This record gives sequence, structure tokens and C-alpha cells, in this order.
Amino acid sequence: MRAICTLAGRDLKSLLKSPMFYVIAGLCTLLWSYSYMRNLLEFADQSRMYMQPGMEAGMNIQRGVFLQHISQINLLFIFVVPALTMRLIAEEKKMRTYDLLLTSPISATQIALGKFLAGWGAIGVLTLISFLYPLLTRLVADYSVGPLLSAYLGVVLVSGAYVAVGIFASSLTESIVLSVVMALIFNIMLWFISQGSGGISNPLLSAVMEYLSMGQHFLNFILGSIKLKSLTFFISLIALFVFLTQRVVESSRWR
Amino acid sequence: MIEVQNLSKSYGDRQAIQSLNFTVKKGEVVGFLGPNGAGKSTTMKIITGYMAPSSGQVKVAGFDIFEDPIEVKRRIGYLPETPPVYQDMLVGEFLKFVADLKGVEKSRVKSLVDGALQKTGLENVRTRLIGNLSKGFKQRVGLAQALVSDPEILILDEPTVGLDPKQVAEMRQLIRQLKGQHTLILSTHILPEVQASCEKVIIINRGSIVAEDSLEGLSRRMSGGGQMVTLKVRRNQDAVARGLGAVKGVHKATNAGNFIELETDGKDETVEQVAAFAVQQSSGLMELKVQSIGLEDIFIKLTSNEAQA
Repeated sequence: MRAICTLAGRDLKSLLKSPMFYVIAGLCTLLWSYSYMRNLLEFADQSRMYMQPGMEAGMNIQRGVFLQHISQINLLFIFVVPALTMRLIAEEKKMRTYDLLLTSPISATQIALGKFLAGWGAIGVLTLISFLYPLLTRLVADYSVGPLLSAYLGVVLVSGAYVAVGIFASSLTESIVLSVVMALIFNIMLWFISQGSGGISNPLLSAVMEYLSMGQHFLNFILGSIKLKSLTFFISLIALFVFLTQRVVESSRWR
Repeated sequence: MIEVQNLSKSYGDRQAIQSLNFTVKKGEVVGFLGPNGAGKSTTMKIITGYMAPSSGQVKVAGFDIFEDPIEVKRRIGYLPETPPVYQDMLVGEFLKFVADLKGVEKSRVKSLVDGALQKTGLENVRTRLIGNLSKGFKQRVGLAQALVSDPEILILDEPTVGLDPKQVAEMRQLIRQLKGQHTLILSTHILPEVQASCEKVIIINRGSIVAEDSLEGLSRRMSGGGQMVTLKVRRNQDAVARGLGAVKGVHKATNAGNFIELETDGKDETVEQVAAFAVQQSSGLMELKVQSIGLEDIFIKLTSNEAQA
């Protein structure tokens, strides 16, 4: 446990200290600020129009504003997470610090978990920044917090999946560019895996495809329902890629 | 302390090392010598558990490297060819990180970090960014990193490569200080380094051990007990050379132009008599040098013989 914390702590600190993180966080904030503001004002306009008696049932800030905010976060994270995780293992290999990790009394599992937690922590900071927007909206509008928290649980899980994919890609290569490109393609594949499900006539296969659809599970969280199968889906996805990373790290001992 | 049995490793078709056998006892300082590409680094990487052998067995302090890698790694401090340092960390911070990583007890971390900084003379750069240090200092940080967990065994892969002469001297000084506290394995292709620091030498060429002995044993074995003596005189060089040929214990005396070269039986009395003779002749003895066969000669002899075979 101490080894994992030591590793994760070092990498998280190194990530959060790097200028790259500030550039990414700054640009994300810029984009979020612009579009969140616009969505919120548009929503306010519309709700004023619908304010006549009997019409208020149609308006919902969760669907009107937060849904867009969350899908924008998700879209950004598909690209941002690989940029944060790309260096985690690939650079260690390139700078030969990997030698230090492999000759230290720590297991491949500890290395994989440490790296994963560092990446998850860094993206957690970004998630926290994005959470400020709906949180501050609470000052001017009254809404129920439950669905928002559920949506953010979804964001945390989906970013965890991206991080796990990212460190796996990073473990495969010494090249940082290749690592970021692979992670991006893997992330996009996760979203497109269920694309063909509409055309499948076999009901069993179609159900399997639907279960594998990341979008469907994520949507459950956004809409405020925490389903066990969706939780299981994300946790197994994360576990799968952390496990694959562990195998790759371990393989250097016998390859 | 370290037992290596039938160790082999191949990279694809290329055999890097072939059935190496050697043991290193506790407290020994062993020089691992060989030309470039002889398999020194490969052997060291296997002992540290960084890579696995194709076949064979390595035991460190009784633990098998494949069965108990964690126990083995706990006992080894390793400085690879490129010092494994993070450019974006401070020197002190990095050493603390390594100590934590190596599982040093929390209460000892601070004193061990201070100790490693002090031994390697890095106290003044403690709060500097590693990325901003010079190559020599980075190398020292690498050594401090290997020392910081106070391991029983230290494995240093070409510790003086790329350093300037002053830094090389300092590094050797440091290695000499570490003698006695750790079992030390040191690889190099620079011969004076071994002569300066090691008690035992393992010479490796093309993946096999060609010699394993103490420094003196090695030179005795190679020279067949004989010695070379060179003399420089001011006058009568020819006559002195002829006269020296008759001194007991001198096998051969030749006038080599600038100096006289003698091959002797290696006994101290012979040297004494040679000196006495030169003084008796009042030929103006300027210089008398006794040379046992150098490591360099042994090295070249062993590694080139192997190449022909």
C-alpha cells in the first residue's frame, strides 16, 4: 500500500506541477466558461418565456444545462486524458527511470495501480474544476442535487476508464506520440463499439451489444439513475485495462 | 552472497551470455571486466531482477531471483548505465522517494537520505532540480539512489563513464569508501578502475568468463611468476647490460636504447642484486622500475586469445 501511495504521489505531483497541466486546465476552463454561460442564459430566457401558469413542467435544468455541460466534459476528456496519461509509463521507459521501478521491491500490480491512481487523481482535479459551474449555479437557481451528483459519479467513472486505457497505451510503447494516439483510438473505439447494434436481428447479440455500449451506461448516470449494471460495467472496464497494464509491466521480467 | 549458475541469455538469435558460473562472497569487491558488448550489463540486469535469464539460476542471499524477486530487490542497490533520475524532482525529494519505494522503515528514511547525500557529497545541491545538474552530479545522484536504502549488495554498471578526470577520481574515492560496508559488483571496461578499487576480477568476453581470480593471482598466473625490470643509467649502458645478464636470477638482459630491459625470476633478491651491480659499476643509476605484468596485458591476452579460438 505504501509503495502504491509513494508511486501515485510522485506521479500526481509531477503531473500537477507540469506546465502542460496548466495549459490543458486553462483551455478547458475557457471552453466550459463560454458554453456553460451561453447555455445557462439561453435556459433562463426560455424559462422566462414558459413562466406562464401551467407551463413550468416542461423545463428542467438537469436536461437543459447540465446534460450539455457533462457531454462537453466527456468529449474533452476523450482527448485530454490521453495527453495526461501518455507520459506515465512511456516516459519512464524513455528516460530509463523504468529501471529504477523494475529493480525496486515492488510488484507489477503496484506499479499499474500507482500509475492509474496518479492519472485518475489528475483528471479528478479537472473534474472538480468543472463541478464548480453547476455548484455555483446553485447560488442563483434552486435545483435538486441528487441527479447532478449521479451525473458526476458517471463522469468520474468514465474518466477512470479513459485513464486505465491511457496507461495501458502508455505501457505498450516508449514513444509518447504513439502512446497518445493509441489511447485516443482506444477511447473512440469504446464509444463506437455498439454502433452496429441497430442492424443486428439476433436478440441475444443485440442485448450484448447494448450492454457493451458505454454511451448507454453513461446516459443512465447523467439521467440520475445509478444502475448496478452500469456501475459494474465501468468498474470492470477499469479493472480490465489496469490488469492488461499489469501484464505488460510484468512481461518485461520474462520477455 | 550471490551465486550464479549456468546463466544464459539470448536476444533472439544472438547469444548475449552463455552458461556463466561464479559466486561473490559477502563483503567482496568484484570487478566485472570485459570489452564493449561482452555481456556485462546483461549479467548485471539479470542479477538485479530487471530481466529474466533464458536459462540458469541466480541466488542472492539465498533467495532465488525468479521465485522471490521482491526479497532479492530489497537487498540490492543498482546504478544502471544511465542514472535513473527524474528530471523534474529535487535531489532530496528524489532520494526520499527512492527510500520509500525501496520500503525503508519510515523512521530511518530521513537519516538514510542524509547519509546518502553526505557520502556522495551532494549536500549543497539538495534543493536543486535534478534536470539542472551537470552530468557528473546526475551520476552521483544515481549512486546516492543506489545507496539510499543501505542495501547489502551494490551493483554499479560503469559508474565512471562520461565523467571528467576529477570526477572519476572522486567516484573512485567514493567506491573505496564503500568497501567493507557493502558487497560490491562493479562493471567497467576501464582497467585502472579495477586496479584502483577491486579485490577480485571476473573477465568476461563474448558472453563467457575467461578468468576469475584475485588481482595478484591473475598477474602471477599470467606472468608465470616472472617480472620485468627496467633500468636507466647515465654511462656505459652497453657494458652494464652485458654485465647484468650474468647476475643470478636474470634470465635475459637487453639494451633497448633508452633503457635496459631485464627479464627476471621475480624474486626480491634478484632486484636487490641488479641494483647493487649497477651501483658498483658506478654507471650513474637514474631509475629502476619493477613491473609485474599489468592488468592491461592480461586483459588483451585473454580477450584476444578467445577471439582467435
